[in-house]
Amino acid sequence: MAEALVAYDLWKQYGDRTVVQGVSFTLNPGEVVGLLGPNGAGKTTTVGMLYGAVLPTRGFVKLGAVQVQSDGRQARAQMGIVTQEDNLDPDFSVLENLLHFAHHYRIRGNAARQRAGELLAQVSLENYAAHQIDELSGGLKRRLVLARALINRPQVVFLDEPTTGLDPDARQEFWKLVTNLKQHGCGVLLTTHYMDEAQRLCDRLLLLQQGQVIDQGTPAELIERTVGQEVAEVEGISEATLQAIANQAHSWCRSFGSGYLLALPATNHQSVWEQLTAAQPDRLTRRRANLEDVFLRLTGSSLA
Amino acid sequence: MKSRSITAWGVYSVWRRHAKVYQRTWLVNCLPPISEPIIYLVAFGYGLTPLIGNVTYGGQTVSYLEFIAPAMISIGVLFQSFFEGAYGTFIRLNFQKTWQALLTAPLTFSEVFLGDWLWAATKGMIAGSLTGLVAVVWGLYPALSLLFSLPIMFLGSLLFGAMGLLTAGSVRQVDQVNVPVFLVIVPMFTLCGTYFPRTTLPPGLKQVADTLPLSALTDLMRWHLALPQYWWLGSLWMITLTGIFAGLAVRRIYPQLMR
Repeated sequence: MAEALVAYDLWKQYGDRTVVQGVSFTLNPGEVVGLLGPNGAGKTTTVGMLYGAVLPTRGFVKLGAVQVQSDGRQARAQMGIVTQEDNLDPDFSVLENLLHFAHHYRIRGNAARQRAGELLAQVSLENYAAHQIDELSGGLKRRLVLARALINRPQVVFLDEPTTGLDPDARQEFWKLVTNLKQHGCGVLLTTHYMDEAQRLCDRLLLLQQGQVIDQGTPAELIERTVGQEVAEVEGISEATLQAIANQAHSWCRSFGSGYLLALPATNHQSVWEQLTAAQPDRLTRRRANLEDVFLRLTGSSLA
Repeated sequence: MKSRSITAWGVYSVWRRHAKVYQRTWLVNCLPPISEPIIYLVAFGYGLTPLIGNVTYGGQTVSYLEFIAPAMISIGVLFQSFFEGAYGTFIRLNFQKTWQALLTAPLTFSEVFLGDWLWAATKGMIAGSLTGLVAVVWGLYPALSLLFSLPIMFLGSLLFGAMGLLTAGSVRQVDQVNVPVFLVIVPMFTLCGTYFPRTTLPPGLKQVADTLPLSALTDLMRWHLALPQYWWLGSLWMITLTGIFAGLAVRRIYPQLMR
């Protein structure tokens, strides 16, 4: 299967500051790839390079046969872009936002109206067609931004932290839309710092820290390879005691919230658990490992 | 094949967006360019004409109202194109993020810039034309002369629109737009031969006023009264300034969007 998008060795420097360092990846049709990293990791800069708003210091992006940096217009004609900021047009109603945006793609008249109607139905905004933008909630605005990004039936869609600031229900609604895009063969690149979102939506993840990809794989692979199956959250034990338990079990621990996180090894997890219990901590819980733990292991810091 | 960085469609599509917004409130938008010159003409016509009487301009004597009517057109062009370029563009760039949204579509920076610039010029043309029509109806400006003055108005609209875009790209807060307004626009509005011939100014001040672009526009708009001796130099000066301001505006706005 031919890749929908290829990003090769992307670098971005602002003066002496390097914000993206050699990021390369591919995006296939019907695949959701997640760029995961804390604030300032270089996610938005990378997305900017993907659609041509940020000029790479080195490297290139290709959408099919089109090179984004040299022919941004043609590339963007096949892309859908949801930026972090809600840049909907406050001078127009919901429907007019779609119709005017369609015009930039030379979609006009009945074709534009038909497409706008389809998209409003797809994102469940049919009843809001005549509403002004300032009458919409944050969740409805994000849905409209997504609808606008789909006006041209894009091959790939970039979603830059699309659910930041949304309530849980609105996020769930948005996730359904992304899943729907994937099912229709659209390649989706998603940046987020929400672990649950990445784990739920993404087929592959690239973990970004200080502009570099520090690891990549499917969510399950990353968790299994980096953390294992289970972790213990511990409070009320000294770091030295915990470190000793970890060393003895060939495991690792990290500072986590008000306590510590310790990976429970697959082979002798019961023995480690018993040692932790014997140390009489204030709090001890056992749970399945997740992507947050992966990030904690790799970077020593939480993603939130 | 690589596509071109500027297409007529792209520029039109951006311009059309602004025109559609304007169209929604066209009556309110058209009111100032019509009411303002009427107010000025009534005030100056009935208030100052009895005191001033006639004015000698280009070797011929004309009524004071005939003298200021072309200036009213120039001022309409100046205000509407500059303020649309400055405030309108600043708001679209920094608050509404319209430019950023447009650049996610298959449009280039050049097209978005040209669309905004042409829109600022369009507003200058609307104001100039409506003011001109009032002057024609009042019998202060010949209808045919107004028709032939349209290219001059368009050049002026492009020039002051570019000044506005340069302002929008240079300021960081909307209140800072007042700086060029009070340092450049208001002095031009008062000194550029609008309400009195520049020959009455002290020599030093006259020289400064002569170089301000509104002087060239106002002189050219009075071509039906007397064609300025160096009309081609005035035109060339306006074209040069238009190019300089537009180039500087691009240099200020481009880095804010294409990082």
